[in-house]
Amino acid sequence: MLIELKGVNKTYDNGQPLHVLKGIDLSIDRGEFVSIMGASGSGKSTLLNILGILDNYDTGEYWLDGRLIKDLSERQAADYRNRMIGFVFQSFNLIGFKTAVENVELPLFYQGVSRHKRHALAMEYLDRLGLTEWAKHYPNEMSGGQKQRVAIARALITHPQIILADEPTGALDSKTSVEVMDLLGQLNREEKVTLIVVTHESGVANCTDKIIHIKDGVIGEIEMNAQHNASAFGASTIMK
Amino acid sequence: MRLDINTYHEIADSLLRNKSRSLLTGFGIFWGLFMLLVMLGAGDGVKGLLSDNFEGFASNAAIVASSNTSVPYKGFKEGRYWSIKYKDMERLKKLIPEVDVVTPMISQWGQTAVYNSLSTSCNVTGLNADYTAIEAPRMKYGRFLNEVDVERGRKVCVIGKRIYNELFPDGGDPCGTFIQVGPVYYQIVGVNVASGNLNINGSTTQKVVIPSTVAQQLYNRGDNVDIICLTAKSGIKMTSLESRVRQVMGREHYFDPTDEPAMMFLDTEQLFNLIDTLFRGVDFLILLIGLGTLLAGAIGVSNIMMVTVKERTVEIGIRRAIGATPRDILSQIMLESVSLTLIAGMFGIMFSVLTLSVAEKIVAASGEFTPAFQIGFWLAVAAAALLAVLGVAAGLAPALRAMNIKPVDAMRDE
Repeated sequence: MLIELKGVNKTYDNGQPLHVLKGIDLSIDRGEFVSIMGASGSGKSTLLNILGILDNYDTGEYWLDGRLIKDLSERQAADYRNRMIGFVFQSFNLIGFKTAVENVELPLFYQGVSRHKRHALAMEYLDRLGLTEWAKHYPNEMSGGQKQRVAIARALITHPQIILADEPTGALDSKTSVEVMDLLGQLNREEKVTLIVVTHESGVANCTDKIIHIKDGVIGEIEMNAQHNASAFGASTIMK
Repeated sequence: MRLDINTYHEIADSLLRNKSRSLLTGFGIFWGLFMLLVMLGAGDGVKGLLSDNFEGFASNAAIVASSNTSVPYKGFKEGRYWSIKYKDMERLKKLIPEVDVVTPMISQWGQTAVYNSLSTSCNVTGLNADYTAIEAPRMKYGRFLNEVDVERGRKVCVIGKRIYNELFPDGGDPCGTFIQVGPVYYQIVGVNVASGNLNINGSTTQKVVIPSTVAQQLYNRGDNVDIICLTAKSGIKMTSLESRVRQVMGREHYFDPTDEPAMMFLDTEQLFNLIDTLFRGVDFLILLIGLGTLLAGAIGVSNIMMVTVKERTVEIGIRRAIGATPRDILSQIMLESVSLTLIAGMFGIMFSVLTLSVAEKIVAASGEFTPAFQIGFWLAVAAAALLAVLGVAAGLAPALRAMNIKPVDAMRDE
């Protein structure tokens, strides 16, 4: 198993304790395309933060690729994030004063890869996502779909073990949403990238092979969805 | 810390993103350093101009001259005038072993020096060869008086700069030629171009210096001396000898040794001390104002960096999420602060050097001074080092704040 969570608990203590994750047990294998679904406040974002080593958990165990992720130093956490995890965010989170190619290069910069090498690699990934002619453009000159593709290129460039996508279509129109989800699916099939998508849209979840429902801090039903027929994209959901 | 060309790009990017803000912040540093260096340079220059006035003058010397008594003493009425005698010099030397050189000065004012058809007014001063211990001459041509001149009463003279310029407008070495002062022809043996403004009995530039023995005979002085100049042996303060000089002179000439107005005792040490204290005070003031301004600039940088960090929370969060260590963030903010400070400061150094050299040109063009306003190389290096320190200090607080930004903070911000 690539990811193993055993009895993970997380309580936020902002004035009054809030038990967000109440004993999560979850395993995800290499090459899976999984979505975590839940309403807002269900704890899915917290779970994502823990999976992405952005946040700590209180009790339980989180194993990532055979390594126990617990009580890491900031430095170690940064290193694991850099090498093992790629992030795709709802609001793209590209750095506005950097061009597309510079944004894609950034994770390699923090790995200490030489300038020419990381530039060449970044161009290669942009090319693969069909953004070659946008390489020198700044994020505010691009459409939402293009921005998200740049973000995906940035997530891919370090060959991470997993890619965590937090509402990757949240800021996109439905047509682009389909494109982005197709792209993610294609990456999963062709490059065997392990993908975890957090969403509250069933249409998005339906594009994945496995849907993990989370409710009130516990894992509910785990739906196998290899046929992608749980619900049609946009159908029976509140879609844009 | 990863230092490659991208690091510089990053810094340049983030500083240039908000040009006017960076400019205004940098201006604080620029102005602080500019003020500090210009004031230091100008202060040194003015000091130099002032100390030119004391050039060549012994700093541990005293001038003794007679005057009217102010109290009755040993049966003599007050208001009596007394004269210093040649023998007093011997006496002082014998009774006060700490005294090094004792040399007389006899002055005759309002004379006219004539060479061919040219003439100029001058003061004739009779000196001994060892007067050089009091006021070092700067000989352009020839030599100063020597002991043989004095002993044999040779009719030779050393002329000052003004007299040389007036009588020998074409320049050249005048040694060996004769000038007439009063009824006597003197052979010129030297030209003294010292131009210090601290003078005993008239400006050096306007003096015709002849052997004291000649002056004594020529002007019917008998064994009277106008002024005695003293220096103390090294390591002994002139001030400590004053009362003993008064004792010796008072006993001989029947005036009360505690009667200050009866004998003038001018102590150059006190004078120089006063000036030194003044200079030190000015230096301190300059440093206080300059460093204060610079510090205010640095606080300005720190403040702005603080705002910048706050503004860039999301960006820093993203960087952290994709693998920047806290150290990476720390060094980035530090480098930004140091760069801003250094660049602004370098302009400050350049601009102050420029200003000082222009000031030098203007003052030099206006007249007789040759000012040295320019700051030294090492002062500039020290200023640059100070800037680096200030940059680090200014960046510290904002960098620590940036370091504590969690990657989650980036995602909270929609």
